[in-house]
Amino acid sequence: MGIDKKSEPINRVDGRAKVTGKAKYFAEFEVPGVTFCVMVTSPVTRGTITTINTKAAERAPGVLAVFTHLNMPAIPGWAEQGNNSKLPSGGERYHMLGSNKILFNGQPVALVIADTLERAQHAASLVTATYNKAEHHTDLLKNKEKAAMPPRMGDYTRGADTNAHNTAPVVLKADYTVPIEVHNPMELAGILAFWEGDDKLTVYAKTQGVKSTQRTLAGAFKIDEKNIQVYAEFVGGGFGMGLRTWPQEVVVAAAARAVKKPVKLVLTRDQMFTLVGYRPYTIQHISMGATQDGQLTGIYHEATAETASYDDFTEGTVGMTRFMYACPNVTTKYRIVPLDRGVPIWMRGPGEATGAFALESAIDEMAYKVNMDPLQFRLKNFAETDPEKNKPFSSNNLKEAYQLGSERIGWAKRNPAPASMKDGEWLVGYGMSTGVFGAHRGESTCRAQLNADGTLLLQSATSDIGPGTSTAMVQIAHEVTGLPIEKIRFELGNAAFPPSGSQGGSATVSSVGSAVFDVCTALKGMLTEAGLSFDNGTVKPAAGKSDGLQEVLSKQNKTFFEVTKSSKGGAEQEKYSMYSFSIHFAEVRVHPATGVVRVKRVVTVADSGRIVSPKTAASQMIGGVTGGIGMALTEEGIIDHRFGRFVNNNLADYHVPVSADVPHIETIFVDKPDPITNPMGSKGMGEIALIGFSAAVANAVYHATGKRIRELPITPDKILSA
Amino acid sequence: MNQFSYVRVTSKESAIAAMAKEKTAMFLAGGTNLVDLMKSGVTSPERLVDINNVPLATIEETKTGLRIGALAKNTAVAENALVIRHFPLLSQALKAGASPQLRNMATVGGNMMQRTRCHYFYDSALPCNKRNPGSGCGAIGGFNRMHAIFGASDKCIAVHPSDMCVALTALDAVITVAGPKGERKIPFGDFHRLPGDTPEQDNNLQRGELIIAVDIPFNQLSAHTHYLKVRDRASYAFALVSVGAAMQIKGGNIADVRLAMGGVAHKPWRLKEAEAWLKGKPATEENFRKAAGMAMTNAKSQGGNEFKLTLAPNTIVEALKTAAGQV
Amino acid sequence: MDDQLKNGEHTGTSRRSFLKKSSLITALALTPDTVIKAAEKGIDEQIASAIETMPLNVTINGVKQSVRIEPRVTLLDLLRERLHLTGTKKGCDHGQCGACTVHVDGQRVNSCLTLALTTEGRNVTTIEGLADGDNLHPMQEAFLEHDGFQCGYCTPGQIMSAVCCIREGHANTPEEVREYMSGNICRCGAYSNIVDAIMDVKQGGKKV
Repeated sequence: MGIDKKSEPINRVDGRAKVTGKAKYFAEFEVPGVTFCVMVTSPVTRGTITTINTKAAERAPGVLAVFTHLNMPAIPGWAEQGNNSKLPSGGERYHMLGSNKILFNGQPVALVIADTLERAQHAASLVTATYNKAEHHTDLLKNKEKAAMPPRMGDYTRGADTNAHNTAPVVLKADYTVPIEVHNPMELAGILAFWEGDDKLTVYAKTQGVKSTQRTLAGAFKIDEKNIQVYAEFVGGGFGMGLRTWPQEVVVAAAARAVKKPVKLVLTRDQMFTLVGYRPYTIQHISMGATQDGQLTGIYHEATAETASYDDFTEGTVGMTRFMYACPNVTTKYRIVPLDRGVPIWMRGPGEATGAFALESAIDEMAYKVNMDPLQFRLKNFAETDPEKNKPFSSNNLKEAYQLGSERIGWAKRNPAPASMKDGEWLVGYGMSTGVFGAHRGESTCRAQLNADGTLLLQSATSDIGPGTSTAMVQIAHEVTGLPIEKIRFELGNAAFPPSGSQGGSATVSSVGSAVFDVCTALKGMLTEAGLSFDNGTVKPAAGKSDGLQEVLSKQNKTFFEVTKSSKGGAEQEKYSMYSFSIHFAEVRVHPATGVVRVKRVVTVADSGRIVSPKTAASQMIGGVTGGIGMALTEEGIIDHRFGRFVNNNLADYHVPVSADVPHIETIFVDKPDPITNPMGSKGMGEIALIGFSAAVANAVYHATGKRIRELPITPDKILSA
Repeated sequence: MNQFSYVRVTSKESAIAAMAKEKTAMFLAGGTNLVDLMKSGVTSPERLVDINNVPLATIEETKTGLRIGALAKNTAVAENALVIRHFPLLSQALKAGASPQLRNMATVGGNMMQRTRCHYFYDSALPCNKRNPGSGCGAIGGFNRMHAIFGASDKCIAVHPSDMCVALTALDAVITVAGPKGERKIPFGDFHRLPGDTPEQDNNLQRGELIIAVDIPFNQLSAHTHYLKVRDRASYAFALVSVGAAMQIKGGNIADVRLAMGGVAHKPWRLKEAEAWLKGKPATEENFRKAAGMAMTNAKSQGGNEFKLTLAPNTIVEALKTAAGQV
Repeated sequence: MDDQLKNGEHTGTSRRSFLKKSSLITALALTPDTVIKAAEKGIDEQIASAIETMPLNVTINGVKQSVRIEPRVTLLDLLRERLHLTGTKKGCDHGQCGACTVHVDGQRVNSCLTLALTTEGRNVTTIEGLADGDNLHPMQEAFLEHDGFQCGYCTPGQIMSAVCCIREGHANTPEEVREYMSGNICRCGAYSNIVDAIMDVKQGGKKV
């Protein structure tokens, strides 16, 4: 049983709160007596603190407390872990303010808490420290010899001829670089924490998972999860940085307990570069073999990425290469290099976006080598079934997507020869790429409450970092019950609600949506038993019955019907390989004299099953494309390795795309239900919107100029020096 | 931010008097750069003299040109009909700078006073001779993709970030400043400095002096102007290289020409040799290219900004071509 | 010297100068830290605060506000932390993102770089003051209709900026809107829809 009709586009159910400024983000809750926390951070990249002087700060007006490693109350869960990380990278654990060790530049060394923000900021500037500097390593290119296989990602090999990529009639060998990228959601990260007594904690958090934050805090403070309340109804973007509860959040909670007052920490923008993760600098080597007529015979793909000395961050960078194309011999390797840096975290599209830049650039390069249209080359090597898992795809409408997109952009009308098209002085280029990401579904729980007035309340401890979770859930409930949208309310961002996973990996609609589907279905059953039914947007007496909803509830001494359902995928899912797909087409202009690249037009096609919420889904796609434009053309976190310190940790120098960088973006949905993934027939969208897009731009730049740029971002200097 | 005292003044006399009272006092106009620098701990004045209510914001025609009050907002100047008619280059340059919000706040005087965007200058954890004389230049041997190719010293390779100043230097503007000893005039090209051994001094304004106005003499260059700014994103970014070009073309020949560049030196960089060579010659791409080559004679790469040696002359040519209506 | 200056000197004396003049604190400088701290928390602290703050009279969303604040308080922090008008957002605190955009005397500005005291006697409009009671402003309606946002955090700044973009006469073509809206970063990437929303309002001809 599922939903078989197409969904209508509706406005966001929480949109009014957002356009009026009434939506409250974590730092905006009025908590009486709130105090302000500002962090002092290390200018040193590795070493130890020798002295730290907090006297002037403590004496400054309005200051309640200054915490350093010398006086920070112990965090029981951390103390239990000890310092030994037991990780292959071998480093010590990072416990903020837990010792005098400095493991990365920008590491907090003191917290100042004061009665106003300005006073806390000023007092923080009065803290002075001296350091014993040790030699540091932040440059992956100079530390490649430390590359190690992470425990969570082994090498992969398919096919007997592991050398096919070297011996084929046509061989391509190329190296690709994706720099550090920083999530930089517009809302600054942080936490607002307060205690009742010593064992009851409430936090307003910037998190993609209220349950995960609750678990982390419970583990850190060794108190029952029930005693920790986490709120995060509105989250001002995450893109992955909110998938972890960061050490400073735990420390601020501990500080709040010590000063016995609510404490609010809002990171500064520069701290967003060092304390809440980033997309790791990654170098990739691809070696690819094909026959003269364009049949892939072998692919070798090796990725090497940075991680922290204290954590083995791992992501799916080489995953796509294993199954995307019908190639008999494939080898992938993934290595990590521990550096004196803060730990990375998944950033939208995560490793798959990094890997897709390399693979989809290489596919384009190979297509030109064998004199084939890049689209035809992809079709020729199309994988009808998943060659990695040897399973059929639950659904795969890529061929239709290729066709829809290529027709819309006018792919066939272009002159395929590189550097052949012009618009005035500007060179014109078209490029395409494919994106893919697992159609995941996790366990999720939802509570439904049908009130006497016929309104339906749904609750689940999930999140909305922007995609429009509530809107999609209300649409699912509407489609199951027939109740009008305005009579349904979905509540989230509260750890006391029935548990759900974090919002990440494009899995929210599939996971939480299934729970909504199931709980609404259960509610229907409950109504049937009570002699009621959903009928044309209201609850009416079932055939042959006379009591309406109010009468039935009142006879049962209830004010509402209530049911909670947990939902997860069944065993049938094991039989299939489940992925969401996207195809991106980009038309670019490149100025040959200045090296400036502009994306002029975009057509992006999603094959992500049935579209549950068409309006917000289209926004997801244009958002992913915009992020992809940044990845392709503008974004790069730059470290001066002499100091181990960022030299563009602000929004003027780290270039997130602005409106002028982004053209009108055309989105197309194949919109065909997937019969396996979940009852809605949907698959995720958040990642595929971005995955591969950077390659479409790089490929278009090649088509425009004949210059192959393999190192992102494609800034004017790279065009001029290529 | 440290605590500071704040005084609001309504006349230039009281502004100058208030400034004399405290050694680290500073004038506060639009605040777009100063407040930012104070937040970053780069500048810590103990007194701010708010001059926003001083009547110095008028834009008026004089016998010889336009006089723009130092407190005229960037937007007001960019949108002013007289400016657009007589000095379209100035309007174009202003609109290429910052964002609409910042242009609504920033003043003409403040724009001249804005400090470099060099990251080593902004980050007190890193060496910078401009911020902390004697501490060294972090950009030399470091991240210097944005840095100077002209006029740098072994103490500082920072660039001046203003777009407006590129236009004003091309337009032979003259600045009037007032101080305790009265008023004086400074030709625009003499206002900003090269770093030399004292990069901490951005310009030749004396302590306690207040910029009053800038005068731009009338010229015959308004028909052919173009401000071309090459940057890492399409808007709201500092220049990798920018070029302000203005020409008077008679019968296909260049009767008069002005050229200046931004993003290449510690001050807005006027290309007088190239101008002199172009005068009287046909307005052709070939001549533009030769002039651009001439302009690059003393250019020097710092490593990370090597591409500017190609980008700068290309941008000069493109700006001239566009100004001449050849694109 | 005019009266304003004299007035400023009285009300804006720096803490440093105050401390120099305060014999009590001079004496305390010779006593142990703990005593100084206790004293500073007490009466001297209150005196210091009074001297360090200055009066500000500003009209915000039509309501006259009279507060005493330190000169270093920005308009943004005044709105968010003291007046609890949290619709105006802090995204970078350095004039690099536009999330804090408000109108001062009808002009869009970055409130994070505006010292609050410089708004003395002025009219400030924030997102909370844009709608007419329960009736949304046409720009708010258009953002809703075109889904011109995702996480919603940059949205108030975008809307405040968009209103001015039209009022300034810079919304004649999508290209012009893109340029004149480039001071407002949207990391979710809703630009395409934001431009549609603004063009829709512009073409609809409703008064903004």
